[in-house]
Amino acid sequence: MDTSQYAELFLTESREHVSSVNHWLLELERGAGGDEPVSAIFRSVHTIKGMSATMGYGVVAELSHEMETLLDRVRRGTLAITPEVMDVLFHAADVLEQAVEASVEGRLGDVRADPVLARLRAMGHATPRTSAAIAAVPFGESLWTAEAPAGAGLLVRVRLAKETPLRGVRAFLIVQTLKRLGEITGVSPSLAALQGDEFDLDFAVRLQTEATAAEITKQVRSAGDVAAVEVEAAGDASASAPQAVPETKAAARPSGMLMAVGEAATPAHADATPTPATAGHSARHVRIDLRRLDALMNLIGELVIARGRLQQIGATLDDPALNETLTQASRLIADLRDEIVTSRMVPVWQVFDRFPRLVRDAARGLNKRINFTIEGKDIELDRSMLDEIGDPIVHLLRNAVDHGFAGPDERVRAGKPAEGQLVLSAVRDRSAVVIRVADDGRGIDRARVLAKAREAGLVDAGKVELTDEDLVRLISRPGFSTAEQVTDLSGRGVGVDAVFSRVRALGGSVDIKSQTGVGTTVTLRLPLTLAILRALLTRVAGETYALPMTHVCETVELQAESLTTLRGREVMTLREDVLPLMRLRRIVGLPPREASGREHVIVVELADRRAGLVVDGLAGQEEIVVKQYDPVRSDVQAFSGATILGDGSPALILDVGSLS
Amino acid sequence: MSQTVLVCDDAIFMRTMVGDILQSAGFEVVGQAESGVQAVEQYKKLRPDLVTMDIVMPDMGGIDAVREIVKFDPQAKILMCSAMGQQALVVEAIQAGAKDFVVKPFQPSRVLEAVQRVLG
Repeated sequence: MDTSQYAELFLTESREHVSSVNHWLLELERGAGGDEPVSAIFRSVHTIKGMSATMGYGVVAELSHEMETLLDRVRRGTLAITPEVMDVLFHAADVLEQAVEASVEGRLGDVRADPVLARLRAMGHATPRTSAAIAAVPFGESLWTAEAPAGAGLLVRVRLAKETPLRGVRAFLIVQTLKRLGEITGVSPSLAALQGDEFDLDFAVRLQTEATAAEITKQVRSAGDVAAVEVEAAGDASASAPQAVPETKAAARPSGMLMAVGEAATPAHADATPTPATAGHSARHVRIDLRRLDALMNLIGELVIARGRLQQIGATLDDPALNETLTQASRLIADLRDEIVTSRMVPVWQVFDRFPRLVRDAARGLNKRINFTIEGKDIELDRSMLDEIGDPIVHLLRNAVDHGFAGPDERVRAGKPAEGQLVLSAVRDRSAVVIRVADDGRGIDRARVLAKAREAGLVDAGKVELTDEDLVRLISRPGFSTAEQVTDLSGRGVGVDAVFSRVRALGGSVDIKSQTGVGTTVTLRLPLTLAILRALLTRVAGETYALPMTHVCETVELQAESLTTLRGREVMTLREDVLPLMRLRRIVGLPPREASGREHVIVVELADRRAGLVVDGLAGQEEIVVKQYDPVRSDVQAFSGATILGDGSPALILDVGSLS
Repeated sequence: MSQTVLVCDDAIFMRTMVGDILQSAGFEVVGQAESGVQAVEQYKKLRPDLVTMDIVMPDMGGIDAVREIVKFDPQAKILMCSAMGQQALVVEAIQAGAKDFVVKPFQPSRVLEAVQRVLG
């Protein structure tokens, strides 16, 4: 049958199961949860096996089958969980994942499954399987291979069709069928042997019954997968040789009636209107292609822009009836937008769940001991945002494992527990999600960063100390890396700067706090969605700029007396805090304002610190739809996108993360 | 009127495929279940002509579900869907009252043959 239409379903579901396998393998390794980990892994592997066999993905099916065999031994207690067993299982899970992807993409050549299959087999089978050599007995040339059992009654000999799946069970089913016709006095081979598949295709049953030979034959054939049946009177030795029954396909058919049904079920009948399966559906979820949701998001984005224009027109015309309708339509559009945005939200665990495995492998590779915990798994983010943020987080985690932590011995010498703590957390903060990667490792080596910065002429020669802000500024520079050697963990040429640029491209910001000997915390602040943002509109010299509310904390009027200069930098005192100031005019390359008048300060929240942005004036909040933007001047990096405002004019969106 | 089927499997993939095979043969899939518990509930509610039952499912496996369903309706017609290597479990399911079995990977013709055997 054509299975290609199921490939997508196979992929989605198999990925979920592979992820679950990894999760439970880690639990198993920790020795947590009693029998549950093994059962859960078994179930997932088993499901993958069934699906892949159906799809005809032989390698996946074989791998999952061997994993299942091994797990079954564990479950039965005949195989103990040793580090070696764990190692094989982890390895197998990796190859399984590759094989799943490769099978669907049709590039199985890339997957090398043989080594792990051999290891699985070596552990999975207690004794090398004695290939129960099913001597292919050419039918019609030989005698029945099963001995006639002793006992009273008719002798019923049965030969199963060659390709019978689960022969033992089929034989059992046939014996059950015969039982309904009378009393069974003997079975050969024994029932236990039959069930264990320890027979060729033949078996024989002694049956005491009133039924006629024809009736018995009919019943046996109707049990399915029967190639031949013969009924002999008891003790009728002369008939010990069966008559040749040509094993044609027709002979393998259980019965004439079934054949007719089978045909009716094939395409000749397929154009009969299929009855829609609606009644009784209990599933409360549907799976939707992400592209559909993207399309919906785009449409609602356009609708939001149109609404903005309508509102402006409404304000101009000032017609009560129009305004009332507009208000109602606006509310409906807002509700619709919320629904669509919500439907795109997925919990972060969907991506975070693969990290424990990654950290474990990375730590093991370096002989480090790390306890990795994830907090805030249920925090939700837009699906596309989550997909985008996965790689940067992987990078941060790898960096932490690779450079952040010392080995257990060095940690103990430094007076710390041998086991390092690595925490990945997500929390919701108004219209932003804050993700933190925190380690209790060595901290960033400021001396080395400073030396390197001096070398590259990035700091004054006289500078002796780096602040956290300096650190962020330096580390985020493309190509700035202090790693002495390239390991296979952090890779080559991709530094933290890649994380910064990725996060900023998403409209987010990054901060780093690091203390020598205590640890490093990297904070990412991200908007909830990529496409539609609430923004504060600001005005400078008649131009409008949009500032995403993700980063807005509050706005205040600029008071001359609160301004001072600190270490050569303009700062402002706000209540207890001292905020560094940035001037939007300077950022967009305009001269300072000459006319007097009130200026405003927007207190912006960067990933982990605050700053003030001085603007000429504020023009209210608006929902904006982020459009791709192609900077003409590539040296201005202050913008992350553009948008169209309610009045139809374009505005640039400020990239808060790049401001410093 | 077409005959009704309840399809039980924890994988959407499998439910979809079995459902498609049966629908193309004129059956009406009236319900789906992804656990043994759901299978029993759905059976009681829908009283389908046929049940296809996966063996390995979370929340009560297929075999226990067969026991529960047969206890409720001794005439229930249940077809087990098994994988290679589950001999013992299939035997157990048949002892519990399942009528026949098919083995993954499914071939539509084999599934439909088995269905006809079950429905007699």
